[in-house]
Amino acid sequence: MIQTIVKRDGRCVLFDIEKIANAIFKAAQALGGNDYETARELAEQVVAEMERQGNENPSVEQIQDTVERILINTGHARTAKEYILYRAQRTRVRDMNTRLMKTYEDLTYKSALENDVKRENANIDGDTAMGTMLKYGSEGAKQFYHMFVLNPAHSKAHLEGDIHIHDLDFLTLTTTCCQIDIEKLFKGGFCTGHGFLREPNDIQSYAALACIAIQSNQNDQHGGQSIPNFDYGMAHGVAKTYRKNYIRNISKGLTLFADLEDGDQAAKELNARVEQESGLKPVMADDNGYRDRELPELCKLVDEQTALKIQKFAVKEALKETKRGTYQAMEALVHNLNTMHSRAGAQIPFSSINYGTDTSPEGRLVMESIMKATDAGLGNGETAIFPIQIFKVKEGVSFNPGDPNYDLFKLACRVSAKRLFPNFSFLDAPFNLQYYRPGRPETEIAYMGCRTRVIGNNYDPSHEIVNGRGNLSFTSINLPRIAIRSKGDVDFFFEELDRKMDLVFDQLMERYQIQAKKRVRNFPFLMGQGIWLDSDNLGPDDEVGEVLKHGTLSVGFIGLAETLKALIGEHHGESEYAQNLGLEIIGHMRKRVDEQGKKTGMNFSLVATPAEGLSGRFVRIDRKLFGVMEGITDHEFYTNSFHIPVYFNISASEKIRLEAPYHALTNGGHISYIELDGDPLKNLDAFEQVVRYMKECGIGYGSINHPVDRDPVCGYTGIIDEVCPRCGRREGEAVSVDKLRELGVWHENAGNCGYCGDIHEEAARIPNPVD
Amino acid sequence: MMMNGSIKYVDGKEMIGEGVGFERIRRITGYLVGTLDRFNDAKRAEVNERVKHTVSREVQL
Ligand SMILES: [Zn+2]
Repeated sequence: MIQTIVKRDGRCVLFDIEKIANAIFKAAQALGGNDYETARELAEQVVAEMERQGNENPSVEQIQDTVERILINTGHARTAKEYILYRAQRTRVRDMNTRLMKTYEDLTYKSALENDVKRENANIDGDTAMGTMLKYGSEGAKQFYHMFVLNPAHSKAHLEGDIHIHDLDFLTLTTTCCQIDIEKLFKGGFCTGHGFLREPNDIQSYAALACIAIQSNQNDQHGGQSIPNFDYGMAHGVAKTYRKNYIRNISKGLTLFADLEDGDQAAKELNARVEQESGLKPVMADDNGYRDRELPELCKLVDEQTALKIQKFAVKEALKETKRGTYQAMEALVHNLNTMHSRAGAQIPFSSINYGTDTSPEGRLVMESIMKATDAGLGNGETAIFPIQIFKVKEGVSFNPGDPNYDLFKLACRVSAKRLFPNFSFLDAPFNLQYYRPGRPETEIAYMGCRTRVIGNNYDPSHEIVNGRGNLSFTSINLPRIAIRSKGDVDFFFEELDRKMDLVFDQLMERYQIQAKKRVRNFPFLMGQGIWLDSDNLGPDDEVGEVLKHGTLSVGFIGLAETLKALIGEHHGESEYAQNLGLEIIGHMRKRVDEQGKKTGMNFSLVATPAEGLSGRFVRIDRKLFGVMEGITDHEFYTNSFHIPVYFNISASEKIRLEAPYHALTNGGHISYIELDGDPLKNLDAFEQVVRYMKECGIGYGSINHPVDRDPVCGYTGIIDEVCPRCGRREGEAVSVDKLRELGVWHENAGNCGYCGDIHEEAARIPNPVD
Repeated sequence: MMMNGSIKYVDGKEMIGEGVGFERIRRITGYLVGTLDRFNDAKRAEVNERVKHTVSREVQL
């Protein structure tokens, strides 16, 4: 007689026949059955069968096997099937729970150095309390979605590495990113959810509010935040600052020469009168005749010669103060965006700003200032990590000698050669130019974060603009795997690719359906403050599904190089034949994406996946499946999107020429990199030539990589090979304090390394350890 | 934290920076990162395998 059974964890517990009866009853119930007595009788047969076999202390598995057999033998085939499904589901849940617990254990007891999950995203510090807490949440959420939310076909494809659903931990929560129109946002002020902020009144507040806007929006979305019109938006702040400074300096002049009790009051009243009568304001360009209208008013208080002198003084001083104020504001903005945190304190907001085409003196001053502040670096000369800066290159505006912003283009090259930013976007590339309308900055292409691009609009062709729009979600396809499975059969490859694309279309739409049910109050800033296009027409309890259609659903891909290698033995850097096939593959994907967009009215797009968390995952799974294959699975990573492999020797011009046509195909975003050797500051011409060549070849968005090293002990920034060129120490070596004193980079009261800057700031820094 | 980089005396001379590495800023998938420590293994491998691209005369415009 059976008295005890062995549970999965090895424990022995008392046997209870009701448990078997209940399990059978549940399976029958799922099919509409309602007969507990039969279930109970079947359970007794199970026990009898076990005892007949002489098994007095069976395991749970053995009992379940017997249940299945008895059900089938007694003609309850459908119940048996249900029972097996139920059993499989339980096993899956159990496995997932075990896996989740193991993940939690690793997150808890392993440092980021040992744990790849903690370093999945390089901008989250996985070793901090908040960073780890975020990871607990994120890993738990992913498991939950796999078990209960995702379509099992999509979950399976993701887990097995056919596709990768990006930002899966946010599946049911929000959308990716947005291009914030700061011009619109600042008009009339806005609410952050923690209080109302008035319309800013000078460039300092404009800059501070831009940071707050980025931070607030970042709390509503899981991706990065971008400002597409930084120059145009900030220019209003500069104009207000100039006007204030001008009036204040007129007041100084009046106080000095007109012998007034209250020069301030007089200057303000005088300005108000002139502005009201003439409709003119003091402007930086000093070209609108304001001073001519002001002169007679001044002459009521002082003689004409003095009035002219006061005006001249005010213009000069106002300009000087405005320049200084703007520089300080931009310096603070860069500093803020590198230190402020969002999302429970573990992550610095991913921010991007686009500029380059505003030709007003105010907009130009903004650009000059932000680039000079970037050039100078943070407190101790460190390279700023944020914001990503993107300089808009446009013929007739900012590209050729004689263009009004050509000087800023040159400055952009110089700063990028030192600090890696700005990157360059090319408004003349045909696929960007088609949207461009002179005088309408919202039609100028902008790039977000690492590369995302949103401008075309299937849903609402009257709004083919960048402002207030972004990506909803994206999912990438493991192209190399399809190629490996095709075993050289290109036709099969395309058929299988179509099947995977259909799967991803479905998955993106299902995710959209979840996002669509959210309400405005779920996005207090993004929707509540009308940042997202058309959300200003919605109330707090309205669903966001309709306005979200302005966003993109993007299909991504990774490893075109390995794909070609697997299909024909060469990648697109190696032969024109491979390049043609590569273009055919990506062209086919674009065609499918466009068709899907037409069919659904949704903004499906094709993105060259940035692969932040994905660069190693696909190849690890594929190596297990197919072994090490030369040029395919023999590296730790699959090559980024359509890039020529990083390890392949190729000239800059050839790389640009080969990658450019893929930019035209990937309307959801793209970027090309060139790796320069040595210090590009010493060869600025070559740097600029590379940028010009990118433009000529039809690149949409590009940037140039070069080594930027820093010695935290003496503060040197530049290239450091083995030995620091400033203080002469090797990595990990000590240097004498006398030497640093001699170099003028030693603070007498410093207690930690890094003696070149503010010691209070240095005290909080953790020196970079040597492995 | 003070283990690295704090002042040590060697032969009566004040020395500083022992155990302190250089910062190497690199761009990965569009973002800059201050040190390689925080890259995941695959991306670290990718950075290590990068080769430079020569700028030839054909680029001259
Ligand atoms: Zn040094």
